[in-house]
Amino acid sequence: MSFIDRRVLLHINWALLGLTLLIFGMGVLNLYSASGFRLESGVAVNPYYQKQLAWGLIGMGGMLVCIFLDYRHLKTLAWPLFWLSVGLLICVPLFGKTIYGARRWLDLGFFNFQPSEAAKISMLLIGAKLLSKGQRPLDWIGLIGVTLVGCIPAGLIILQPDLGSGLSVLMLLGGLILYRGLQSQVLKTLFITVPLLLPLSWFFLHDYQKQRILTFLNPGSDPLGSGYHILQSQIAIGSGRMWGKGFLAGTQSQLRFLPEKHTDFAVAVFGEEWGFAGCIILLSLFCLFLYQIFLTAQEAKDRFGSFLAAGVFFYFFWQVLINMGMVLGLMPVVGIPLPFISYGGSAMVVNLCLIGVVMNVSMRRFVFKRS
Amino acid sequence: MSAHYEPEGQAPPKSGLLLLQALIWVLFCIFALRFWYLQIYRGEEFETKARDNQLRQEAMFAPRGLVRDRIGKLVAVNEPAYALGLVREDCKDISTTLDKVTEWTGVDREALREKFHKYKRLVKPFEPMILVPELPFEQVAVIEANALFWPGLEIVVRPKRYYKQRDLLAHVLGYVADANEVELSKDSGLALGDNVGKGGLELVLESRLRGAKGLRQVEVDATGRRLKQKILREPLAGEHINLAIDLGLQTHAARQLEGQAGAIVVMEPTTGKVLAFVSQPSYDANMFVTGLSQKQWSKLRDDPMHPLQNRVIQSMFPPGSIYKLVVGGALLEDGFSPKETVYCGGQIKLGRRVFRCWKKHGHGRVDYQKAQVNSCDVYFYAAGDRLGVEKMSTFAKDCGFGQKTNISLPHEKTGLVPTPEWKRKRFGEPWVGGDNLNMAIGQGFNLVTPIQVARFISALINGGTLYRPLLLADAEPEVQGQLPMSELNRTMIVDAMVETVQSGTARRLKRKGVRMGGKTGTAQVVRLKLKEGDERRKTEEMDYRERDHAWLASFGEKDGKSYVAICMVEHGGHGGSAAGPVLKSIYDYLFSEKMQ
Repeated sequence: MSFIDRRVLLHINWALLGLTLLIFGMGVLNLYSASGFRLESGVAVNPYYQKQLAWGLIGMGGMLVCIFLDYRHLKTLAWPLFWLSVGLLICVPLFGKTIYGARRWLDLGFFNFQPSEAAKISMLLIGAKLLSKGQRPLDWIGLIGVTLVGCIPAGLIILQPDLGSGLSVLMLLGGLILYRGLQSQVLKTLFITVPLLLPLSWFFLHDYQKQRILTFLNPGSDPLGSGYHILQSQIAIGSGRMWGKGFLAGTQSQLRFLPEKHTDFAVAVFGEEWGFAGCIILLSLFCLFLYQIFLTAQEAKDRFGSFLAAGVFFYFFWQVLINMGMVLGLMPVVGIPLPFISYGGSAMVVNLCLIGVVMNVSMRRFVFKRS
Repeated sequence: MSAHYEPEGQAPPKSGLLLLQALIWVLFCIFALRFWYLQIYRGEEFETKARDNQLRQEAMFAPRGLVRDRIGKLVAVNEPAYALGLVREDCKDISTTLDKVTEWTGVDREALREKFHKYKRLVKPFEPMILVPELPFEQVAVIEANALFWPGLEIVVRPKRYYKQRDLLAHVLGYVADANEVELSKDSGLALGDNVGKGGLELVLESRLRGAKGLRQVEVDATGRRLKQKILREPLAGEHINLAIDLGLQTHAARQLEGQAGAIVVMEPTTGKVLAFVSQPSYDANMFVTGLSQKQWSKLRDDPMHPLQNRVIQSMFPPGSIYKLVVGGALLEDGFSPKETVYCGGQIKLGRRVFRCWKKHGHGRVDYQKAQVNSCDVYFYAAGDRLGVEKMSTFAKDCGFGQKTNISLPHEKTGLVPTPEWKRKRFGEPWVGGDNLNMAIGQGFNLVTPIQVARFISALINGGTLYRPLLLADAEPEVQGQLPMSELNRTMIVDAMVETVQSGTARRLKRKGVRMGGKTGTAQVVRLKLKEGDERRKTEEMDYRERDHAWLASFGEKDGKSYVAICMVEHGGHGGSAAGPVLKSIYDYLFSEKMQ
């Protein structure tokens, strides 16, 4: 295989690239607004948006690498990468760095690396590799085998404790399993038992997590405690109305009523300043973006590529669903960022790399015919 | 483009592809509907909420724990103080508002501006930035009446530390002052303008004294006016503390040293509890609470009498003859018979150097007791020569010298027990025989702190136990070590101390019905080279800085009560004459009915 194939270059998925850059740009603009606060004259700005821009550039470097290395090599790398990431996760409790009471980071000197991010990528690869094998819907043995593999990194992450990331890994795998399809027997059984088992998980939650769920069910009960986020973000979004208050003019966010406005609640700032019109545009962009990934999964020339794209689809889909659901008061508050909109360095790099993988699959969809 | 699949069976799962499309539609529909619901359907309602009903969380100040003396008299309290705060999120025009503040309070306009710009990044959102830390009550009334027209300005009522006795306990209590940036960054419980302990017990007991702030939910309108409030978490007051110190005794003791520099420690020998802790001169701790001006600070810092110096634990003095109690112990433990005599003819020769006794014509033949009672230098020169530096320094260290007493105050000094290695390092010179002699009478390189002396004397009379000096009433006694002496030798030294009061250098302490013991010390500050035939100058003839330090270490026992009292008068001259009257007066108090 030549490293850069001219025919491959011709088939770059410009739509996906364009959508990514558009959403990324909106995110940086929104961060510029979210990190500012009103002073007596003008707006003072914290450097979040600059850092986000810098991480974006680094991420695009990663994206380029992911585009040009033929994705089929990833299939052979899947197992080694999987065990590497499990190894890193084991290192975390041993040598990890504690930030905000949780041990999730490895200190690499120049920056803090979060192995759970690497685990998401390796889960994507191993999931795609395992599930693209064979064609019939999964039976019990197949399902249990794949689930056990997924439980290794997920368990290690949940123990950190980082329930959000641990569940992301499991949900990514779950999405891939649904994509592959289950035997109707299996599907029916799960359909009945899972809802019955779910309440049991209540007993494994930390108190603050239980509190969040209770608060979600009744936000009025604790308007200044955990309900504060939900209430304030709804006020911020709702008060944006049809056309929004305008860029840098959101009173709720500019006046700093809104907590976490540059990370998990970034959409609330957006909603307040750009209104319903802006929100529908942003939502549409995310849907088109997901649609481009879906198209790649549909058109991929091998099952591994198709599963890779589907995995990336689920990776983004869950985040958008949970983050927006939380900010809009449809779900309990869980610390999951909105891709490209929330501030966060490692996440930005991983996001862009995954787009690179999808574009890689997408542009090689014609390669097979000639080989 | 749907017809390019490779061999059959390589196709992506059909149901999966359907699922992905369905998910996209579901995502879009749910959220579009929710945006519509919040922004269009309920938009107006939320807009009103955003504009008018704003919820804020405010901290409620917790009062700092009170400090009382051992019988419950208040020494550190909290008083309400009124400050002018600015919530800048509520303020429409900072510049004219600051002008208004200047008009009201007379605080310099530029100073206010400077403060505002310095603080604006440190203050949390919706937290009032303290512009004027203390307002007189008349101004409070004026501002309250006008605050309505100046959104953002508000009177903040905070508890302020007040030290009732001003300078009396400054060296024990320390003081509180505004947390600095380092403290703020280390402790998330602190906000700008909060007070923290900066010295003394206020610093050491910070975590116990501080308490925890409360939290209050406030509903405010667009101009920041409070509409409703609800307490979410009650503030938790700091722990109250009782000192071991007796306020009456402390006051009395401090008065005895008025106008002089020095230290007094009164201790319960059987527990280590400190009943009086005087370091003179002192300073008014209240000055620090509202912030010192540069001028006040320079005045304190440059005062030649060093009022900020804690003379009880930080000043290291040569112990003078007090040290003979230590060397005496070492001598007896070394097997030297107390009956054996040394002839004192007023001086002793070592090589070509002559070492003099303080008594020009000598004490004649002296045995151990006579030597200690009369503080005969020649006897102890001989002891130093016999023992040598190693034995003396080891013994002194075992008696608690050269190390901190670990009293719960910051910046305690260790003192110095010299050794040949120390001298070589410090001066690059070898230890010589003459050094032994000087060391034996507490001159030369020895340095001790008054608190170390108090601990040592306590151990001598309590049976030999070195207790940690304790400042709190409820603290449990802590044993730190045992004196390295036999019961017999210890009693010998204590008996000699009693005899010193009866007939020796501490006669001023004699009183009826009380078993008193003492040891004086006169520590040379400047080593005066006396030539043969020179008379020593009288204290009054010397420069203040050249005068000797006067020491008196003593104890008194009556009706099962015993006290140890140490007095050190800086440049006071002779121990007996300068420190004697001070301690006499203190024992008058201790054995009067005023002492409970």
